[in-house]
Amino acid sequence: MSDLDDRTADRGAGTDLTESGPARGTWSPAGPVRDVPTPAGPARDAATPVGPSGTPAPDGPDRGAPIAIGPRAAAGARADVEGARKWAVGPRRGVGDPVKALLHRHRELCERAVDPLEIAAGLEAHGVTDRTAARFRHRDVFSLAEELYARVPRTAGPRPTTALPAPRIRAGWALLTLLPGALGAATVAGLRVTHGHPRLMVAFGGLLALSLATGAALRHGPLAGPPGTRAWRTALGTRTRRITLGTRACTFWLLGYALVGDGLLHAVLTGGPDTPPTGAPYGPWPTATAPVLALLAACAPAAWSAHLLAAGARRRLVGSRGLGDFTAAAKPLLYGAFALFLGALTALLALCGTVLHEPVAFPQALTLGALFLLARLLTAHRHRRAPALALGAAAATETTALALPLAGRLPGCAFLATPVETLTGAWGEAAVPTLACGTAALALLWHAGRTLTRASAHAPSGAPE
Amino acid sequence: MRVGLVTEGDFPYVGGDAALWCDRLVRGLGQHEFDVYALDRGRVRQDDGRVPLPPQVRRVRTAPPRTAGDDGVTHGWRTRRRFAECYGELVTAVCAGGVPAAVEGAADAGSQGSHDDLADRFGNALYGLAELARDKGGLVGALRSDTAVRALERACRAPHALRTAHEARVPDLLAVAAHLERALRPLSLDWYGDDALGTADLCHATTGGPAALAGLLARHFCDVPLLVTEYGVRLRSHYLAFGPDTAAPAVRALLGAFHGRLAAEIYRRAALLTPGNAHARRWQERCGADRARIRTVYPGRAADRFTEVGESPERADPRTLVWVGRVEPAKDLVSLLHAFSEVRKEEPEARLRIVGSPSGAAGAEYLGHCRALAAQLFPDEAEGAHAVGDNPVSFEEIGAPDAPTLPDAYAAGAVVVLSSVVEGFPVGLVEAMFCGRATVSTDVGAVVEVIGGTGLVVPPRNPRALAEACVALLRDPERRERLGAAARARALELFTVEQNIAAFHGIYLEIVSHCPVRRVVLDESGEPLPFATPAESRVPGRWTDPTARVLPRSTPTWATPVPVRATPLAAEGPR
Repeated sequence: MSDLDDRTADRGAGTDLTESGPARGTWSPAGPVRDVPTPAGPARDAATPVGPSGTPAPDGPDRGAPIAIGPRAAAGARADVEGARKWAVGPRRGVGDPVKALLHRHRELCERAVDPLEIAAGLEAHGVTDRTAARFRHRDVFSLAEELYARVPRTAGPRPTTALPAPRIRAGWALLTLLPGALGAATVAGLRVTHGHPRLMVAFGGLLALSLATGAALRHGPLAGPPGTRAWRTALGTRTRRITLGTRACTFWLLGYALVGDGLLHAVLTGGPDTPPTGAPYGPWPTATAPVLALLAACAPAAWSAHLLAAGARRRLVGSRGLGDFTAAAKPLLYGAFALFLGALTALLALCGTVLHEPVAFPQALTLGALFLLARLLTAHRHRRAPALALGAAAATETTALALPLAGRLPGCAFLATPVETLTGAWGEAAVPTLACGTAALALLWHAGRTLTRASAHAPSGAPE
Repeated sequence: MRVGLVTEGDFPYVGGDAALWCDRLVRGLGQHEFDVYALDRGRVRQDDGRVPLPPQVRRVRTAPPRTAGDDGVTHGWRTRRRFAECYGELVTAVCAGGVPAAVEGAADAGSQGSHDDLADRFGNALYGLAELARDKGGLVGALRSDTAVRALERACRAPHALRTAHEARVPDLLAVAAHLERALRPLSLDWYGDDALGTADLCHATTGGPAALAGLLARHFCDVPLLVTEYGVRLRSHYLAFGPDTAAPAVRALLGAFHGRLAAEIYRRAALLTPGNAHARRWQERCGADRARIRTVYPGRAADRFTEVGESPERADPRTLVWVGRVEPAKDLVSLLHAFSEVRKEEPEARLRIVGSPSGAAGAEYLGHCRALAAQLFPDEAEGAHAVGDNPVSFEEIGAPDAPTLPDAYAAGAVVVLSSVVEGFPVGLVEAMFCGRATVSTDVGAVVEVIGGTGLVVPPRNPRALAEACVALLRDPERRERLGAAARARALELFTVEQNIAAFHGIYLEIVSHCPVRRVVLDESGEPLPFATPAESRVPGRWTDPTARVLPRSTPTWATPVPVRATPLAAEGPR
């Protein structure tokens, strides 16, 4: 009905005014009480109304109008007034210390308040006004609140258990993280059984489905980025968006390299490539499906180790007294979760190799998996720049390794191919991705050991309003 | 004159709390130009649509919506160190406590000095952060960063910190840092340049808190005088909303101290404060506002629609009491029903109409409770043996056949009753006064201040006193009429929209005359241009009329053919 009702949620009020002074002058509601407070309580309430009493307000045309009808004892009112004049207190049953009764009534408010002003606000919400405060011989509610605050012992009561919202295990993200692995297996199976044109269709369809599934798995659960990443369209600008897009492109490139890169590098070094990849694990341009399939299936252990890290960090947040304590407690947690993921990935790699009857390139796949996990963990905890840099560096190294031998074929530029040839001659083609991803992963691990063990990285994103 | 109106995202959009008031203000002061700056209150209001704006609103700028993520800005070490210094100063001042206890006299001059020193440190740190945000951007990420949390921990463990702050644990520190980041969002806005609030002659913040913080920064960067209107005191609503069950004591203590310091800084720097009633004024004075710079401006209500009812007192049914409002527990309808049962003992013919809809689930439950109580206390009554009876207490809503509009609801009653135990500014009482009805109200909130001497006031939670006052008025039609006429006259004098607008008009002029913005205008070569902003640029009305009148020399200047609009509101007058 009124537009001001909400805005003036101002709850100044008076509840236990047992005797209202006459409505005094309009502009001095906080003035001193002029009338002698009369003890009046439920027991003393009398039926007879009192006519005009006190001073009429200056602007009231009805001289008898500004009355306050206070219940007064009809009999013995005079004696009460005398008594009140003597003690000048207005408590109900003549207690020697009027504030004590008030203190008792608002004990919880006073004990738990952190500030006299909080008591003042609470008292006003319970209807104590300056006129009430005057009965306790205080100038206003604020000084009354200060007395209450000073008189209540600040008991260090049971500390409210700060239950941070612990990350919950939901069926949604747990199932979603299984999806890339399942779709990858289906695609690989489809590639194995089809030939010719349908096979191309299967390959494209599988790629599309896989990218969608991986995106969905990374948008939910503990691997999800902070909400800001999803809000870039609205507010926080193009910088975040650029970083996100760059990370995504680098991820695709690194996965692609894991699939066909080693074969391509071999072909380049040996004068090829002459044919497009056939998808077979052996041949002139071999395709390594097993590591990629294992990496796709590793979405699930990645999500679980991220969940373990988040949940453990929350528990340690609640338990630790200072920031140093938390860092000390979070370090083993981070490295434990990381090691857990590496173990799971190794098992998955071995499994995929056995099932697909393919040689498994453990070093490249493990370093790449480690790089992906750390990048995702950092992104999920609001550090986007370092993962983008590391992924970009790894992708650039691999691109350079492919480009240099090709450039070396130009007349007079043979020296360009020398470093790559030396490297592959010593340790084989696997050395390139292993070095690229391993260095990036180590850098990220060092960075994560510094940033993810800080309390601010694990702060709940919601704040108290 | 150009006014920068900073709102909390509720003015130019539909459905805001202060929207109606701001709209009336902007429309009423057509001789000034308004730039509206709307903060965002967490909800994206753009979808709701804007209210149609009058032409004097030159532009509307809305702050980007809040997101929890950081802005992805990484600072260099020099910036980080500057940030750590400023933030450390800020939280040190906060950890030392909030608004100091009232110091009586000059006996405690030493502690007063240290309080002033802390207030200065808080202010300087705040402005330092604002300058950092303006120069480098990306304060959102920094405020949630590890640097900030570590600075907070250091401040909490410092020797002079609050005792409660010493107990802060890591989750508490994080919660405080997150809250401070939200509270300091206005620092990251780009409103304080010479193309935004810097062009205004006056910055009018329509609430305390974030809107006033934006005004404070405009004052710091561009020397724009600040006017703060507070209908509900921000600090107080913070304390009420942030009760013991919401967070750990350390968090509450630190946040209370922060908001107290912020409010004190706002009150200290504002050119004028306009609280909506004496209660808000007391809080402002308690937080250190200078009494000489406070002007109470009552919120205005549109009186037009009550004119017909107010001028026809004979429409009232002489036996009916009316209660109008939003049904909620704070209105204490139970005590009203008990009082009415006392009234019925004295005046068996009396009837009570309760007009209003429940607010929220609690209100609906309370309404059900009241209905049951009414049915228990008062059996249905009928005229004779063959008539259908009804209850002497009726519950209605606005729009029902008996009370199609709000004025009709008031019109039906001889006496309007207000039985609240908690009340802010009693709008219903003002409306009853506009309607010229005698009122009986409880002594809560700003009731005494509003009613003056033109109605009866009883203690709250005292049904018998309420009943006695009602009976006294029901039995005395002459007194009722006298009181009603006086109440209407008082309301028309004090609580109309025109009064509100005229008050703000006067306050605008006062501020601009006392603390004009001194801008240095540069010419093409970069030299300061003296006398570029003459005093006339601040007179009300458009002094640079494109068709300047050329008067013959024989005609005196006051005899212009077109009347000059000097005091526009005096011409309209109170309706």
